[in-house]
Amino acid sequence: MSWLQRLFARRRMERDLDKEIRFHVESQVADKVRSGISEIEARRLTRLEFGGTEQIKEDCRESRGTLWFESLVQDVRYGLRQLRKSPGFAFIAILSLTLGIGANTAIFTLLNAILLRPLPVQNPSELLLFGDGQAQGSTSSIPDGSTRLFSYSLFHDFRQKDTSFSGIAAVDSSQFATKASIGGAAYQTTHVDLVSGSYFSVLGVPAFLGRTIGESDDGADGAGPVAVASYSWFQRQFNGDPSALGKTIRIQSHDYTLVGVARPGFYGYTVDQSTDLWIPLSMEKAFSRPGWNGLGDKFFQSLYLIGRLKPGVTATQASAETNLLFKQILRSYLGSQPPQKHLDDIAHASIQLNPGGRGVSYLRYAFSVPLEILMAIVALVLLIACANIANMLLARGVARTREVAVRMALGASHRRIVLQLLTESLLLAFLGAAAGVALAWKASVVLLSMATPGPDPVPLNLTPDMAVLGFTLGAALVTALLFGMLPAFRAAGLEFTPALKDGRGSSSSTTRGALARSLIVGQIALSVVLLVVAGLFVRSLINLSDVETGFDKHNVLVFSLDSSTANLPHGTPEEIRSVQLQEQIEDRVQNLPGVKADGFAFFTFNQGAWTDEVLFLGIPRTQSNGGEVSFNITGKGYFTTMGIQLVAGRLFNAQDTQMSNKVAVINETMARRFFPNGSAIGRRFGIGETPDHPGEKEVIGVVKDAKYSSLTEGTLMAAYFPCTQNPGFYGNFAVRYAPGANRQEIVSRTRRAIAEINSNILVNNVGSLEEQVDGSIATQSLVARLSSFFGIIAVFLGCIGIYGVLSYSVARRTSEFGVRLALGARSHMLLWMILRECILLLALGLAIGVPVALSSTRILKSLLYELSPLDPTAISIAIAAVSVMTIAAAWLPARRATKIDPMQALRTE
Amino acid sequence: MKTEDRFDLPQGTLDLLIMRVVALGPIHGYAIAQRIQQMSREALQVQQGSLYPALHRLEYKKLLTSNWQPSETGREAKFYELTAKGRAHLRAETENWKRLTDVVGLILKGTLEGIS
Repeated sequence: MSWLQRLFARRRMERDLDKEIRFHVESQVADKVRSGISEIEARRLTRLEFGGTEQIKEDCRESRGTLWFESLVQDVRYGLRQLRKSPGFAFIAILSLTLGIGANTAIFTLLNAILLRPLPVQNPSELLLFGDGQAQGSTSSIPDGSTRLFSYSLFHDFRQKDTSFSGIAAVDSSQFATKASIGGAAYQTTHVDLVSGSYFSVLGVPAFLGRTIGESDDGADGAGPVAVASYSWFQRQFNGDPSALGKTIRIQSHDYTLVGVARPGFYGYTVDQSTDLWIPLSMEKAFSRPGWNGLGDKFFQSLYLIGRLKPGVTATQASAETNLLFKQILRSYLGSQPPQKHLDDIAHASIQLNPGGRGVSYLRYAFSVPLEILMAIVALVLLIACANIANMLLARGVARTREVAVRMALGASHRRIVLQLLTESLLLAFLGAAAGVALAWKASVVLLSMATPGPDPVPLNLTPDMAVLGFTLGAALVTALLFGMLPAFRAAGLEFTPALKDGRGSSSSTTRGALARSLIVGQIALSVVLLVVAGLFVRSLINLSDVETGFDKHNVLVFSLDSSTANLPHGTPEEIRSVQLQEQIEDRVQNLPGVKADGFAFFTFNQGAWTDEVLFLGIPRTQSNGGEVSFNITGKGYFTTMGIQLVAGRLFNAQDTQMSNKVAVINETMARRFFPNGSAIGRRFGIGETPDHPGEKEVIGVVKDAKYSSLTEGTLMAAYFPCTQNPGFYGNFAVRYAPGANRQEIVSRTRRAIAEINSNILVNNVGSLEEQVDGSIATQSLVARLSSFFGIIAVFLGCIGIYGVLSYSVARRTSEFGVRLALGARSHMLLWMILRECILLLALGLAIGVPVALSSTRILKSLLYELSPLDPTAISIAIAAVSVMTIAAAWLPARRATKIDPMQALRTE
Repeated sequence: MKTEDRFDLPQGTLDLLIMRVVALGPIHGYAIAQRIQQMSREALQVQQGSLYPALHRLEYKKLLTSNWQPSETGREAKFYELTAKGRAHLRAETENWKRLTDVVGLILKGTLEGIS
């Protein structure tokens, strides 16, 4: 009989055991009776000789080897019965555990998805990423430091020479949200990654259908008009129909053949973007982008490189070889007589090899410190919840003294009692964890969308995986031990004889009280820490939202336009036609009722940046004018639309045409840095550290400073150029409407106006400038909101604890208070007596919590905007809030003590 | 030196005695206790509290097997029998025990002479 069968045959075995023991006893009694002893005496003697039958039975069960499991099942049943008997306790305990474990699981789910989880590729630990992957876009400057982006030429030259890697893959750092049409159907937004021919083989991602992109697709320029689809895009577009292979997909007036579908679950190398189609890098030119003259240029650096280490080669060896080769190749790109400056630059150039198995992620860059802080916060909340439940269990332990004593008298061992009580704790923890996982599943999705607001949700898979479930299981176990261990040992360690006699466990109440009180002190201390942290984040957020942006974010809509399907003559002398189309749109929308101003712009706010140095004619390079300048390309009405005020000179107007003098409007900071004592108007500058076209642009106006990429940036130099002289992609179209105008109407009228002018210009999405500003501090506002939420929960849990302990203490001392009142004590004296205890606990809690907070908030420094981590306001508010709440929680039981009727109280004893 | 007419069993020997008794044929727990007492000419007092756990342990180790049969009084009792594995185990353990007692006896004999 296997132990499993034994387990299921438990009931029968119990019956058999009972029968066997009874048979023995009866036989022994019968023998004694036969030898002439009276039956009563025989029974007495047998009992003496044989011993306690329950004890023997328990020993027998134990020797069967399945006892642990049987008693576990028994304990779980018993525990469930106990919980059903006190639904109030069960409800509060499970609720606080659900919140505590759920919050931990939710944050861990994000942490896991963003920071920990490897990509679904072959042996991810062998992959090394060149650079840290924290740049996106392109640069043409000569490498002079730790390099993150690489040119196509470098990729080819490097992989021919290196010996450390079994293969190197390249992928464009920017994903292209472009328009694709399948077999002539309507254009749809499609996310495209440009990859090298080695991409799929190096990552080890096989085709689910057809084939992946191979080396032959990535040969000469334009050689590989093929596309590989992601599994989910294939499912969406073709419902998994294999006949989709061979279909034609039209992207920006080029046709591609769908040759395969990648393995399900693979969404590309960038974790928080999901790719729909992969296209060989050889097709880069076909992705017509102004100023994007990719493959041929040795210093057009836009790629991530990912290498797979050969077996036996260490990362250190690979790094040494990589850096040596990198410099050699760069040197060969500079020609025979390079300027000394360039030689110096590449002497400093280096490649840092980083573990590449987790892909790159922008969320990881922005969100990892806040996530770690949040993880610590929710862990502290769970700790407070544990203290609370431990306190409730201690109180229950006293109430259950009699039950424990009875069970021990019947032969249950200490171990058995402790195990049973721990099982009850585990039961609570697992019920809480189960509900917590369900809560976390939903909550992590909500948290992610709060952290990354915008029209497109971040495609991050947040379904609980083994890591998350393992974490939750571990959290539940640790939690149960934390809150269950102490009460269980206390309960089992009771002297049971006196407990049996009076049934109220008076002998242990003082130590229990001390334990309960130290738990309360701990809770108060943790609550203060959490509230200080929350206060700091909230005050930092307030500082951020008070930042002077330099533009008026209200009543402005930003339309994101895509002209790639309109077949405009980009990159040809004809391209001014696309600017004329822009001007038509600006004029048409300007005249719509309710619209006050409008204008195109390369960037509005928080959309990235185009930066470089500039040099004015006749002005020497100095420390203060040597920094990067943020450039923007705008329509005539842009400044009015944004509410950026002119300080001197003029704004762009109809005279600034393709043919006329190249002009620029600059901001006050740029004007001041280059011309501290004079006017910038009429002065000329060129772009670049040593400009290719010196003095190309003439300053015609100076405008007020603004924030460009983020609210936290310092004071930046900025220059604006007119669209007419810098034709480019359409990007953003900003529209200011009259306050009170119907926003929806403005949107639909603008859409109609654009469609009337050219129906092939697509409106991707519409948002408001205010949303862009708020979105730029979404992480900070999420952290502030969450830390406040958890801080409040912590304080509430603490209050419940205090309320519970003092209520219990008042109830126990009813007779004492009765006597005191009878002897003439005033009720306010009693009130004070109880409050005094609470104030003592509070003082102790603060004495521990405030120094801990003061010494630990330093780690938040990088997350606080213009706020000291020792901000006195935040600390005072936290102390005040905890004090008020603690005394309020103590007030109720204290009031109850004063309402005691002395006669009633004395009679109950 | 006071001699005891009944003494307790050394650790671990109860299993051996039980198997020896059961080897004689199917037998229930009460009879095992009595038989051990008789065979040792009343000198051994089997701790009744440890008999049943030992039986269950041996059964769990598959050295014994059991079935319910009517006893001599007509009441159903649980009868134990040796399994093949139990028989082999008993043989080996008996062999061990003999060797052990011979060696221990040899040493003690010398010692006793030395003391007296």
